[in-house]
Amino acid sequence: MTTIKLAFQLAYKNLMGAGLRTWLTVGVLSFAFVVIIFYNGLLDGWNQQAKKDSIEWEFGNGQLLNENYDPFDAFSLQDGHGILPDAGEKNLVPVLIRQASIYPEGRMLSISLKGIDTNQATLKLPTYLLKESTAERPVIIGNRMAASINMKKGDEVLLRWRDKNGSFDAANVTIVGVFDSDVSMVDNGQLWMPIGKLWEMTGLENHATLYVANKDYKHESIAGWEFKSLDLLLKDINDIISMKKVSGSIMYLLLLAIALLAIFDTQVLSVFRRQREIGTYISLGMTRIQVVALFTVEGSMNSLLATIVGCLYGVPLFIYLATTGIAVPQATQDMGLAIADKIFPVFGAGLILSTIALIVLSSTIVSFLPSLKIAKMNPVDALKGKIQ
Amino acid sequence: MNSEIIISLEHVTKRYKVGDGDFTALSDINLQFKKGEFAGLVGPSGSGKTTLLNIIGSLDSPTEGKAIVMGKNISALSHKESAMLRNYHIGFIFQVYNLMPVYTVFENVEFSLILQNKSAAERKKAVMESLDWVGIADMANKKPSKLSGGEGQRVAIARAMVKRPDILLADEPTANLDAKNAHAILQTMKALNKELNTTFLFSTHDEKVMGYLDRMIHLEDGKIREDEIIPHKLSV
Repeated sequence: MTTIKLAFQLAYKNLMGAGLRTWLTVGVLSFAFVVIIFYNGLLDGWNQQAKKDSIEWEFGNGQLLNENYDPFDAFSLQDGHGILPDAGEKNLVPVLIRQASIYPEGRMLSISLKGIDTNQATLKLPTYLLKESTAERPVIIGNRMAASINMKKGDEVLLRWRDKNGSFDAANVTIVGVFDSDVSMVDNGQLWMPIGKLWEMTGLENHATLYVANKDYKHESIAGWEFKSLDLLLKDINDIISMKKVSGSIMYLLLLAIALLAIFDTQVLSVFRRQREIGTYISLGMTRIQVVALFTVEGSMNSLLATIVGCLYGVPLFIYLATTGIAVPQATQDMGLAIADKIFPVFGAGLILSTIALIVLSSTIVSFLPSLKIAKMNPVDALKGKIQ
Repeated sequence: MNSEIIISLEHVTKRYKVGDGDFTALSDINLQFKKGEFAGLVGPSGSGKTTLLNIIGSLDSPTEGKAIVMGKNISALSHKESAMLRNYHIGFIFQVYNLMPVYTVFENVEFSLILQNKSAAERKKAVMESLDWVGIADMANKKPSKLSGGEGQRVAIARAMVKRPDILLADEPTANLDAKNAHAILQTMKALNKELNTTFLFSTHDEKVMGYLDRMIHLEDGKIREDEIIPHKLSV
């Protein structure tokens, strides 16, 4: 019988025999295990959902930006536009962005007025509503925007904009649809109208600030236009998720540290308190290596039991959460990153296996270190319980 | 009893470091024990009885001299070799029994056989036979905490005897027992000695134990004062 097999056999008996002490350690460890998986699953779910929504509602398969347009500089909108011939054939959807103001209920509100091809199918924006409408200046808005200006489908609001020469003009626009999107960047402070109508209103015929690529787009360098790949556009989301993972990991590492400290403490105490037992093991014929292995396995078996216990209550909990999702408050959804009303955590095999490996490995290390003392123990002193 | 010598101590001396000096626990001990002896190391506390027992049991080694047990020089054995010697040839009985509290009686007795990699069937047969010898077969499933002192020591004897060792070392085995239990335990040991021809070596200063011994080695200040062969006084 190998040392490890023997160690497992005896460690199991010892742990079960220790009763409540074992189950307290296992309880804390399993809680750390479940929290780590839950938190990472939540972030992975959020990450996947945020990327999917951002691609479907805002980024498409990448964006081609006019070289004079800087998304972080509102002043660049004035001149940041141009004409790209045959955009449709290149699988690109034109979007023209202009600064404008609306006057809902007598208040003035600065907005981005966005013209978009009503025939597009690249983004999930319901532009067909603009196409179907008979209103003279139809617009669609998101439900956040509708809530902030207290307007609904069918309402009219006064719009003021500048034409290509910088002259102000104003007219009523009709809200022909209110869409529900998780992506606040296409909702907050945005008015979407047919691009043809915006060309007509501004005199910027065939101009676009940016083009959204569809899945068939093949990028080739175009003078005057800069392509932003999906990876680049999603960088902000990735950065926020990474930041959240780091800040979250501090929390769960603390939790894990507490559990590991409990194991370490138990091991140090065990080696001290059970020295007569250690002496007996040696007198009965165990080698010191076997006793070290026994105590190490005993400590690390806490993590295996924690895995089992964690699975008992964690798996049903994870299945429930992954199925029903976790509701996110409205206030959180306005933070500038796509967050759905509900986040559906994703608990992948990789996440679960790596968490189990992390916990088992770390608990084995903290179990092994105090057990090393046994290797240097004099069995006679151990039998007398004399070791300090 | 045959004449095979299984323990041979030649000029065994044991010193311990105490502060800046040395304490001599055993001094120039020369002894031999034959297979099947029922012998005892007797003397007051601090006379070196337990130290000698620990050296014979390969839990300790002499500072000087040679201790040959089952043909092996204790000082020359590796940790693994001395563990093998204890596992297959030497049984220990302690004053406070040293039973594993989380194991049942059966599991405590079974322990040595697990180390010997015996099959479950072999272990069960040997454990029940061993418990039967000491008269506690009906307590196999009890935890040590549920046993009386006498029963606990019987389990310790069963644990030591289950592997049929050549040598059984008993350190003050009756110190925690009342007279009735002590005599019962000693009679059991004597019977096993006769039946299995196991060499029993006691460390004791208990008159009751001395009454059962065939040979008494009197120790004083780490030296042999007298090595006495005793005609049978008590019958089993």
